[in-house]
Amino acid sequence: MQDKKSQMEILGLAIVIVLVLIATIFVIRFLLFKTPTEHRQSFISSELASNMLNTFLKTAAKDCSQLTMTELLQDCAQARSVICANGQDSCEYAEESARYIFSQTLDKWGMNYEFLAYTDINQPLIEIGVSCKAEKRSKLYPIPISSATMYTKLDICG
Amino acid sequence: MSKRTQIQIGETIAVLFVFFILIVIGFMFYARVIKSNIEVEKEELSQLRSVGIAQRVMFMPEVQCSENNLIIDNCIDILKLESAQNIMNENNIYYFDLLEFSDVSIYQIYPTEASWNIYSKKMEDFKNKFVTNVPISLYDPVTRKHGFGVLKIETLSK
Repeated sequence: MQDKKSQMEILGLAIVIVLVLIATIFVIRFLLFKTPTEHRQSFISSELASNMLNTFLKTAAKDCSQLTMTELLQDCAQARSVICANGQDSCEYAEESARYIFSQTLDKWGMNYEFLAYTDINQPLIEIGVSCKAEKRSKLYPIPISSATMYTKLDICG
Repeated sequence: MSKRTQIQIGETIAVLFVFFILIVIGFMFYARVIKSNIEVEKEELSQLRSVGIAQRVMFMPEVQCSENNLIIDNCIDILKLESAQNIMNENNIYYFDLLEFSDVSIYQIYPTEASWNIYSKKMEDFKNKFVTNVPISLYDPVTRKHGFGVLKIETLSK
């Protein structure tokens, strides 16, 4: 009789200990390891790709008849008739400008990215950076040309 | 008092002692958890404040481009910048309500390099410093051309 009572008491104690352990795990999981929400990072990521692309496309070329990057890319996808003051054609000039701008911004901020300008995605006219392996913020911007539509795309990794 | 009663009283005192020690340990743990949660929330609030200031600067009519009374998003008028610097210095208190402790600078990257600091209010004993870089178009109304720039907003908080 005494043995049975002891066994019941031990069982009760074991149940209490299990309940306390479960409660502790919950407290640690939800309170102690609560990571701050990255409001600023999500704002920057969402703004960055679209702002970067829109601003780049509006920018006027330094020494290429003051054409905008959009106009240079349109020529690049069509006749390639524009020759800039430094002897480069529209494709080369747009690519060099994009490389310079991205090196002064995204590269300096330690961000990985991929910039593409294409009519056929398998044969891009301009390709800068490396493709993102995991999460990315993407912005695709269509540019009308006479024969079809060309696209510029900027992926910012992370 | 019998010896058995004395032992039982001693036992009760020992149990109560252990119980109170456990309660004290529990309270200490709870206080630490609450403290770390407050830190996390403070960090989140600082981040939200930083995002708010960045957005306020991006949409300030003092520097924003407009054409025929239409506001152009994501664009800063270079000619407005110098006037904005003077206005912000003269009306320090008004702009402190908007931009708090922060430093707002604009860097032109392409076609030429230039920089403007339009607002600066720093605190010495800050705990958090957030730097937000936003690519922005810099419009020159004289040549009617856009350049590529970066709006850099540093926000400080205790």
